[in-house]
Amino acid sequence: MKGKLGKYSAISVTIFISLMLFVVPLFSAAEYSFRGSYGQGHDFTNYLWIIQQDGFLAHLLLSVELGALAGALNLILMVPTITMLHLTHQRFRPIVDLICILPLMIPVVSLAIGAEVSMPSFLQNSQYELVFFFVILALPFTYRVLDTSFGSIPLKTLVEASRSLGASWLSTILRIILPGAKGGITAALFLSFALAIGEFTITQLLHWDTFPVWTVNASQQNILGAIALSVFSFIFAVVLLGVIAFTSSSRSKKEIVVEEGA
Amino acid sequence: MIEKTAAPATKVAEGRSLFLKGDSVPIALLPFFAFVTFFLLWPISDVLIKSLKGNSGEWTLSNFEPMTHGIYLTAFQTSIELGLITAFIGAVVGAFFAFVIENYAGRKLTAVLDSISAVFANSGGVPLAFMFIASFGANSAVIRILRGMGLDLYANGFSLFSLTGVAFVYSFFQIPLMVLVFKPALKGLRKEWREASMSLGGSNWDFIRRIAVPVLFPSFFGSMLLLFAGGFSAYATARAMTVGNVPLVPLIIGTLVDGNVIANKANQGAALAVGMILVAVIAMTGYVWAQRTTSKWQAR
Repeated sequence: MKGKLGKYSAISVTIFISLMLFVVPLFSAAEYSFRGSYGQGHDFTNYLWIIQQDGFLAHLLLSVELGALAGALNLILMVPTITMLHLTHQRFRPIVDLICILPLMIPVVSLAIGAEVSMPSFLQNSQYELVFFFVILALPFTYRVLDTSFGSIPLKTLVEASRSLGASWLSTILRIILPGAKGGITAALFLSFALAIGEFTITQLLHWDTFPVWTVNASQQNILGAIALSVFSFIFAVVLLGVIAFTSSSRSKKEIVVEEGA
Repeated sequence: MIEKTAAPATKVAEGRSLFLKGDSVPIALLPFFAFVTFFLLWPISDVLIKSLKGNSGEWTLSNFEPMTHGIYLTAFQTSIELGLITAFIGAVVGAFFAFVIENYAGRKLTAVLDSISAVFANSGGVPLAFMFIASFGANSAVIRILRGMGLDLYANGFSLFSLTGVAFVYSFFQIPLMVLVFKPALKGLRKEWREASMSLGGSNWDFIRRIAVPVLFPSFFGSMLLLFAGGFSAYATARAMTVGNVPLVPLIIGTLVDGNVIANKANQGAALAVGMILVAVIAMTGYVWAQRTTSKWQAR
């Protein structure tokens, strides 16, 4: 009896805190974002205001572009690296492990200062310098996702088979590894994309103007608009990260079963 | 080709170095190492060097001197305080959530909650700040309703734009992060151990005190350090929320960088950045150590 009581009170406390801390902010921000002009009634005023702002589309597109580049570069860099770590270069694992946790250890603000003092000026003069730092920031997450996913397929056997049948490394990666670890790779791609389009710290400290930075500047004129923007960005991020969680959890398991059966 | 011929030489010279057994310098790993060296290790080393240089390029510790008093010291204290508060709240509530999910949620619900935690744990940033301003700002629905019920939080000294307020907002991502990193450890707590403890005559309390707590403590403490590092160094949310009324180190660095800084202030910023790295690295080293200790338990 006592156990049951404990169970139900634990569950209700959990639900209550989650409601207060997670559900209420989401809903009240949504409510706030629909408030009409001068706080009267509810309509789409704030959302229309966002879209009409100068630079809305340009900044959004810039962020999407940088995010896509960061995602692509991340895969180009990490897929061969992790393949090698799994196949022949296991002894480098401890170093790579350490390097890949560094971006979590080093405060982003400090890395931004480092970038500002060390990067050559031709890079500092181009907004594409951000892509490289987005890749660095995503490293801890993409490394772990890819590493787990590569560990769950019989990589060595597959690669040996492919290579002994005369396939080149490139075609082995493209035609064997990529399809084999599809779940992890999609997850890594979305993760680095999501992280890049929302990145604020490095971008702002290096004086670039992407969508999140633009949002903060816009908020100084119209807080309701900024809230509407935030609700919009948050929902976008939730959908994106939801897709990641879904693809990486359900997909890879099915694939392993197929691999083992084959 | 050059790498290939160079490798055996280093091997002979260094004996048992990283480059063991007949393998050349791993050309396949070269892009990765080159990339992280240029975009991660170099900026960090450079900031370290800058922090130790004076205005005319001489070596000095004088850049660190302002951190021992005044506004910079206050900032470090406030940032550490913020990290500690949010880590503590996040760890306690998050561990409780993880326990409830692990024990009472079904398999499907657990999967859903895991995904939600992952999403929320990564949600820190600008949108989060504005969402909380909308929800708990002086004019928000929640505050109005509470005021209608006779509880005027703002009249009682609560403000979202204070240390307490920022700490409150941070718990939005700290708690889910704790769920994410602590739940695997809970899973490592085997059912058999409880049964073994029971069959040896131990009570529920005995099990918690003598098995669960000692086994889980390293992981709990380690996760708390991870949360601390996150709360200590977070920038975006605080920047979007506060107008300089909460002195946090990241915000001060931000203002130093923002204003077109004169040369000696640049070294100042570097020194502050190094100070942050030191605090964060100490915390994260503890986290990594605790992770190792935990995985030892889970391996068995």
